[in-house]
Amino acid sequence: MNETFSQTIWLVPLYALIGAIFAIPWSPGIIRQTGPRPSGYINTLMTCIALVHSLLALLEIWHQPVNYLSFQWLHAADLNISFDIEISSINITALILITGLNLAAQIYAIGYMEMDWGWARFYSLLALFEAGMSTLVLCNSLFFSYVVLEILTLGTYLLIGLWFNQSLVVTGARDAFLTKRVGDLILLMGVVALLPLAGTWNYTELAEWAQTTTIDPNIATLLCLALIAGPLGKCAQFPLHLWLDEAMEGPMPATILRNTIVVSTGAWVLIKLQPVLALSPVASGVMIGIGAVTAIGASLIAMAQIDIKRSLSYSVSAYMGLVFIAVGTQQDTTALRLLFTYAIAMSLLVMSIGGVVLNTITQDLTQYGGLWSRRPISGICYLVGAASLVAFPPLGCFWTLTAIADNLWNTHPWLVGVLVIVNGLTAFSLTREFCLIFGGKPTQMTVRSPEGLWALVLPMTFTMGFALHVPILLSKWHWIPQWSNLNLNVAIPLAVSTLVGAGTSAFIYLNDKISKPIELKPKAVQDFFAYDLYTAQLYRVTIVFVVGLVSKIIYWFDRYLVDGLINLVGLATIFSGESLKYNVSGQAQFYFLSILLGVILFVSVVCFPLISQISF
Amino acid sequence: MLSFLLWLPVLGAIIIGFLPGKFEPARLRQITTIFAVIIFAWTIWLLTQFDLNNSGWQFSEYLSWVEPIGLSYSLAVDGLSLPLLALNGLLTIIAIYSIGENVDRPRFYYSLILLINAGITGALAAQNLLLFVIFYELELIPFYLMIAIWGGEKRGYASIKFLLYTAVSGLLVLAAFLGIAFLNGATSFDYDTITTQQLSLNTQLILLTVLLVGFGIKIPLVPLHTWLPDAYTEASPAVTILLGGILAKLGTYGLIRFGLQLFPETWSTVAPGLAFIGTVSVLYGALSAIAQKDIKRMVAYSSIGHMGYILVAAAAGTKLSILGAVAQMIAHGLILALLFHLVGIVERKVGTRDLDVLNGLMNPVRGLPLTSALLITAGMASAGIPGLVGFVAEFIVFQGSFATFPIETLLCIIASGLTAVYFVILLNRTCFGKLDSKRAYYPPVLRSETIPALVLTAIIFFLGIQPNWLLSLIEPTTDLLAINANQTEQIAMDN
Repeated sequence: MNETFSQTIWLVPLYALIGAIFAIPWSPGIIRQTGPRPSGYINTLMTCIALVHSLLALLEIWHQPVNYLSFQWLHAADLNISFDIEISSINITALILITGLNLAAQIYAIGYMEMDWGWARFYSLLALFEAGMSTLVLCNSLFFSYVVLEILTLGTYLLIGLWFNQSLVVTGARDAFLTKRVGDLILLMGVVALLPLAGTWNYTELAEWAQTTTIDPNIATLLCLALIAGPLGKCAQFPLHLWLDEAMEGPMPATILRNTIVVSTGAWVLIKLQPVLALSPVASGVMIGIGAVTAIGASLIAMAQIDIKRSLSYSVSAYMGLVFIAVGTQQDTTALRLLFTYAIAMSLLVMSIGGVVLNTITQDLTQYGGLWSRRPISGICYLVGAASLVAFPPLGCFWTLTAIADNLWNTHPWLVGVLVIVNGLTAFSLTREFCLIFGGKPTQMTVRSPEGLWALVLPMTFTMGFALHVPILLSKWHWIPQWSNLNLNVAIPLAVSTLVGAGTSAFIYLNDKISKPIELKPKAVQDFFAYDLYTAQLYRVTIVFVVGLVSKIIYWFDRYLVDGLINLVGLATIFSGESLKYNVSGQAQFYFLSILLGVILFVSVVCFPLISQISF
Repeated sequence: MLSFLLWLPVLGAIIIGFLPGKFEPARLRQITTIFAVIIFAWTIWLLTQFDLNNSGWQFSEYLSWVEPIGLSYSLAVDGLSLPLLALNGLLTIIAIYSIGENVDRPRFYYSLILLINAGITGALAAQNLLLFVIFYELELIPFYLMIAIWGGEKRGYASIKFLLYTAVSGLLVLAAFLGIAFLNGATSFDYDTITTQQLSLNTQLILLTVLLVGFGIKIPLVPLHTWLPDAYTEASPAVTILLGGILAKLGTYGLIRFGLQLFPETWSTVAPGLAFIGTVSVLYGALSAIAQKDIKRMVAYSSIGHMGYILVAAAAGTKLSILGAVAQMIAHGLILALLFHLVGIVERKVGTRDLDVLNGLMNPVRGLPLTSALLITAGMASAGIPGLVGFVAEFIVFQGSFATFPIETLLCIIASGLTAVYFVILLNRTCFGKLDSKRAYYPPVLRSETIPALVLTAIIFFLGIQPNWLLSLIEPTTDLLAINANQTEQIAMDN
């Protein structure tokens, strides 16, 4: 059996990195003659190579046992960190999904970013994401998963901040970086705390350890909660969901990646950690709770948005909430399958919306209308994407949602209800967007909005074709149950909820007799959802306020109390315009006094053990 | 071999000082660079000759100097001092290029830079307590002069404050050393002969505390830090790089070399207090930095925070944590130097350090795109993003200290989140945003300014991706210093 491609699968992230490095010479000011475009082409080529490599590797590895590789990275004192790689058909399928979607996003960007001067920066960042995510799916070590998540946090900051001269972009980048970093650092605490307990970061060994360990349940709970925090931030779950919505200020082609696979990185780590997380029932409960709250809350918020990208972004949070529910109920395989079907459907939705946003120069849903006759391809793609995302038989997510609901049916029946509600609400919200964009009569903004360039249409139609073929793939992989095994108790409510949601929405939004915009009464409720449950404001008056206040107090303390005497004298001298004659005016005493005070404080802390002994 | 490293800069300083006045500042800078490069190359050569399997002293030189008082001219290096020597050589070159070509009184200026280099080399390589103190104190004079002559508006204030604080630090260290020797009845101050085993625990504790206060001022630790923000902010970028990058490391070097190594028994008594002070420094530095409006002052406060990690790690006293402490010294030296160098460029080109005025420097046409890109890298390295050397050092510190001081370690991790907060503030205001194109007529950034930054960035990346080169150098020495069992050993014991 030839194993050339699967044994060299670690090259896949490197291709992208090489592309990213090659893009640097085309950043402003180094190579001027050619313009920045070659950087994009180089990266697209490298992604193609990565995709082909992964495909060939998949052919080799199909039906083969899982393979492991290991490279030693760091050896220090008794800390050994090695880069473990797991080569299995699941990982390589994920690689194909990542490289494939990135290829689509890169081709899409050739059209979308045509006139942009940040071209080289943009492509190298996309490549960084590709490299990071490829590394994440290959690596079999919690430590490197953390490393990748943290690097991707930085990547998010830079990618959202691509158009850095707009103020909303700057705050969006800041919020994305900080909220994700909060999650990452709590994850880091978990990573640091896990090693002394388990002695390993390797996922396979961690799963074995979790089987046999007799760890104190309280410690297990704390540990698992810390480990959940990283994915929580990445997957934009309550209460760290704020960033995804603001991230929509970034360029659209990056959104294709972000809304589909970048958010899934968190879910991937969560799925990998599932055996450890199962140690703590509290952690599982928290996952289910957060997932359910986010799924329902975010779908409600999505319906109240008037920005098309933001509306979609809340549906992303909602679906990631479903993944959290799945992992919390120990369905890691099903969760992975949901991620797969979800990613394809969502990328199709984003691509079809992207073209509309580009030509119509607005993201405001209320300014759209009547595009069906002008952009039928986009419209069809949107419909296919929407149908694949919700439980609409026989397309992709129907099967995965049904599978999750089926597993929940006996253990957690109320979660099936959550699933049905979220599905119905998502169907409502997607149909609402469709009707507002494509239905109705053309408005001032949409009168001239033709179908986009080939670079936009090609990846979009290709993804549509793929989305339509997903059910065939699923049946090949035996992910679709036999008819006799299909749990109609869950399949029928799911399908009906789709129809009800979509039908109600279409009735409301396609009906000219109902005046638009439709708002909930009272207005406060509408605003509550429209402004994202006032999360941003909540943060501003709580954590941001507290950190800002504490830092100001400490700085004040530093300037006026610790350094007080000196500054007082110093300021007085400066204001009175005198030159500083320290020895003459005797100010040196003040320094010695402050040094003395500092020394006394320091000594008392250091000698605390001694002093406490004396008092006994 | 080490003598060459020590006396070549002195020779260079003398030559430059006596050069005739007709030399252009640019020419003087070239001559200084030649000396600095030879010194650095010599250090690199020493690195290649260094035996990684030998944890003891290497390249030893001995000359009995003033025998009656136990002072000898004795030099040697080990895995703790050699990386710092290399850092010293590198940062000297960077410092030469971190100020524009036209310096006032250039001969004096460049001589002082070389003298600083010599002083730090002497302190790091000294094998005799008194010799160490001599260099440790002599060092202050060139630093004082450089702050007082080439500093900012409040330079007089800052330099006097710096001098008084650090002179007290030197005196305390000297007092502790004299105490160790006299109470022992030792006749020599050589490292090899000095021990504290015979002293009672209480005497040891007193001596150690005096020593810790001395070095604590130099590092500096809260509440002995008030000289730092003023000195760092008022000094020119070159001085700040040397001050923060390497001089402050003499404090942590002393802490490990003399505190931990000479007082292994008492160390565990003071360790909880030290870890507490370290954690307070970390949080205090980070929180104060958030409140700053001046980017240089912000970076100065960040330095207090980052030096606190070293203290926590040293206090924890496991093999891994001490390794992390030394690695953090190097990592912090590199990153801080890059930050101050870039802040210096921004200040010279834009003419301000005020966060409320700076804006949009990423702009590829009118802004400073390369400087901004490097500033982002430096900020992220300081915030501990993986792939850069700061992460490796901090991670080892966290992992190493967690077994001994879990709560303190977790607080330090929180502080590293706060680090991200102020760097995002800095980057968002400085690099991002809309450039005011009416006022943005900045002089171009010269190649002589970008190349040092690129070199530092390359090293930061390289050691972040391949940290073994750094760690294998340090490890043999720090393994000997450990006083606490490591966590994996504990697991072995538990099983």
